[in-house]
Amino acid sequence: MPPKPETFGGAMDIATGVTRRSFVKAGGALFVSLAMPRGLFAKTDSGHFPLEQNQLDPGKLASWLEIRSDGTILARTGRAEIGTGMSAFYPQMIAEELRVHPDCITLVMGDTDKTPDGGYSAGFLGGAANVRKVAAYTYQALLGLASTQLGVPTSALTVTDGLVSGGGKSISYGKLIEGHQLDLKIPVTGSPMGFAPAGSNSVAGLDWAGMDGLEVAGNPPMKPVSEFKVIGTSFPMPGIRDKVTGQTQWSCDVTLPGMLHARMVRPPTMGSTLITVGEVDKKRFPTAEVVRKGNLVAVVSPNEWEAVSALRSVATATKWSSWSGLPGSENLTQAMRAYPWGAPDASKGDATKVQAALGKAAKTISATYEQPYIKHAPIGPFLAVADVRSDGTATIWAQAGHLQASRQRLANILGTPSGKVVVNWLSHAGQFGRKTFGGDGAEADAVILSQLTGKPVRVQWTLQEDLGWSGLSPAWFSDIKGGLDANGHLVAVHSAFHSPHMMDARPLGAMLAGMPAGTTKPGGFLATEWPYDKIENRLEQVYAMPNVGDASPYGGLRGLIMRTPGQRQQNFALESLVNEAAAATHADPIQFRLQHTSDPRLINILKATAEAAGWESRPSPHPGARRTGKDPVTGHGVCIVVRANAYWVGIAEVVVTPTTGVVQVTKFTIGVECGKIINPRQLDRCMHGGVVMGLGEALKEEVTFDKEKVTSTDWNRYKILTMQEMPEIKVVQISRDDKGFGGGGEAPNAVAPPAVAAAFFDATGVAPRRIPLTAAYVTALLGA
Amino acid sequence: MANELTLTANGAQHVVSAAPETALLYVLRNDLQLRGPHFGCGLAQCGACAVLVDGKEVRSCITPVSSVTGKAVITIEGLAATWATEKSLSAEDAARTLHPVQQAWIDEQVPQCGYCQSGMMIAAVQLLAKNPHPTVAEIKDAFTNTPPSPHLCRCGTYTAIIAAVQRAAKVMAA
Repeated sequence: MPPKPETFGGAMDIATGVTRRSFVKAGGALFVSLAMPRGLFAKTDSGHFPLEQNQLDPGKLASWLEIRSDGTILARTGRAEIGTGMSAFYPQMIAEELRVHPDCITLVMGDTDKTPDGGYSAGFLGGAANVRKVAAYTYQALLGLASTQLGVPTSALTVTDGLVSGGGKSISYGKLIEGHQLDLKIPVTGSPMGFAPAGSNSVAGLDWAGMDGLEVAGNPPMKPVSEFKVIGTSFPMPGIRDKVTGQTQWSCDVTLPGMLHARMVRPPTMGSTLITVGEVDKKRFPTAEVVRKGNLVAVVSPNEWEAVSALRSVATATKWSSWSGLPGSENLTQAMRAYPWGAPDASKGDATKVQAALGKAAKTISATYEQPYIKHAPIGPFLAVADVRSDGTATIWAQAGHLQASRQRLANILGTPSGKVVVNWLSHAGQFGRKTFGGDGAEADAVILSQLTGKPVRVQWTLQEDLGWSGLSPAWFSDIKGGLDANGHLVAVHSAFHSPHMMDARPLGAMLAGMPAGTTKPGGFLATEWPYDKIENRLEQVYAMPNVGDASPYGGLRGLIMRTPGQRQQNFALESLVNEAAAATHADPIQFRLQHTSDPRLINILKATAEAAGWESRPSPHPGARRTGKDPVTGHGVCIVVRANAYWVGIAEVVVTPTTGVVQVTKFTIGVECGKIINPRQLDRCMHGGVVMGLGEALKEEVTFDKEKVTSTDWNRYKILTMQEMPEIKVVQISRDDKGFGGGGEAPNAVAPPAVAAAFFDATGVAPRRIPLTAAYVTALLGA
Repeated sequence: MANELTLTANGAQHVVSAAPETALLYVLRNDLQLRGPHFGCGLAQCGACAVLVDGKEVRSCITPVSSVTGKAVITIEGLAATWATEKSLSAEDAARTLHPVQQAWIDEQVPQCGYCQSGMMIAAVQLLAKNPHPTVAEIKDAFTNTPPSPHLCRCGTYTAIIAAVQRAAKVMAA
């Protein structure tokens, strides 16, 4: 949450916003609804955003919050859990402001017809700020009601666990509203989700302006951090018990009457078009059918196993054109180098000053760092269920990452008003950013097949299909140069980051079927949050190219953002350069960083993490560093990341065996200071999980492809970290009350790769310029 | 062609109509409504679909249903009852007691997305049956090197799993 003044800025009397209505129900409830500002629906008039159906009606529904007479609370958010713990954090936020126990809060997440604000499921702080403000507004309204009821001024009232007390009297929230239907309006600003007018800034067609969702406006009085009782505790993530006992309804568990199971027949290359479709052997598979639209081919059956079994012979008999528009992963760097990059898409800094400073530098260091394509690679492949009716209505069940964006995209594919489309959120495997823009997934396949068959359809992608066809985190290279003065101080840095773009959220199913998929325009963005204020001159440039293989009618290797997008990659280059610069000046890499920043928060967490790691202060490489021999060598390395009001430090310890090229990470210490920590245990989980993911990236992960298709299509060929490869992980957390909230779920994966690369350099004296540090790469590097 | 097959899952006998080569996972999920085991890879490479058959972990995504007739299949939905039987708990106690592995998974807040965790718990139950007091190294070894493949978690919950296995071990030994 961006730090905002926690004072009551406006003169609005919240209590008068509460209007008594007739006694609709005997039970009574306080509904907290949207107050749509004038102009919000302006887009409806221009036809971009029909909101007429299946959107929360501010006049009728409890859009945000509902307090019932039994004291239970229902809260609604457009965001949805992705495994990082927001389903715990949001009730904590609400409970804190309302002075209730978080257990009494049920959170409704995502469903497009039941939640008010839309927005990403990535980066939960915006949504958390919304629910916190809503709770704060509601608290003021409840105090006003209690004051009237008890005849005690609000200033004399206190609330504990939903019981309002003052003047020797008390009343519970439930009693307070019993027999009344009350409606409090919450002011909101922002744009609803919709397709962008031609030529404006969009994410595969959808207007950027609506991506953040609606924002709760105004400044209700909020509880000071020093009085927090719920935020800062390790409130358990609701839903864990159900997941552990098999009671959760996952998206893959949705079963509808008459539902067909579908398996997709994908083209054998990333660009093949259909020549002839194979037929189902009806003797063996009497209930299976082939469904086709354009190049979208599926086998459907009411019996899932029959669909699975029938698919094999249909796939074999289906004929496709040949295509070979990929460079092959072994030629990827050359192919990217050969692209006519032109001017940078994003740039920050003064080129003239930086060139002058580099020209005057006592010493310069230049390097090119690179990383191949990697995958989000969840354990559960894409899955969706859709029920598209002949009246144009469509209901979809899936683990979407941006429900309102999905709704718009699916309505666009079907050619139906978005008001007729409802997308319901249910759990599925972690998605790590690939669903942020509401495009990638099985949803498009499911709605198209349901429209064609007239029946509800459940589409389950296979692992091979998912690793072969889903969006990827693009490969990149960064040319980076640093200039040191005579005192060994970095005075200038120039980075030129090159990558295919990572915003191609066009749904594969729509492209295959030749249905509207939106358009995509390559663009790069600067993601680094600059940690080194004492480096006087810097020029950061980001160059973007289209997807590799974009001549394919299906977009080729479709780039998508992945956990800590852009910054993970750009920070790798910066931190690796800083480590090489520290070594060039014979400085300890932590001391070197301390000399280049004056930010006390960064200094503090750097020192605390170094101490926890038992960091031995000395220059890299290690005095015993060696690039040959069969005896292992050891090293340590450090890196930092500053992201979303959070300061991260990673310290890796590695063992390298030069003859075999095997790199083992033996210990990883990760530290964070992210303002006020909301839930220490969930943060701890995110930090461990992020390190595990980042180590996979540092050591193993690489998408391989030949000229036709992705070839790393199972877990033996796309390798992620196993339990045995996980080192001892040590966590350092610093919570502070004076800096608001920072992002805790996303960045820990970004601290692992540069720290491991630095530790490898420390152990061997050879600076790696590429990840992953596979045995093949390492033996070639050390042998060179 | 579909056959009538008799199957014992979580202590209950079921007759299902399925082609004998049908992967057990599909029968459990679609015919018996046991949704604990998940489809992960369909290749016995990830462990999300793991179930116990006569006390031994198998990957239900590649196991033909015909190969488990006459054997006892246990999914996470049946773990609590297995424990209650093992400990001869009264009906009242059984109703409020989870298997110690499940309880440890809750107490340690293991799941993030949770998709792989059904298989992880099955692997833990098998490990603790063979080795009631595993060391950290033994836990890592079991979850990585037991055929046919490592149990994979993309959220990176491995540390929490290790803590939960050790917590469950203590309870089960008590």
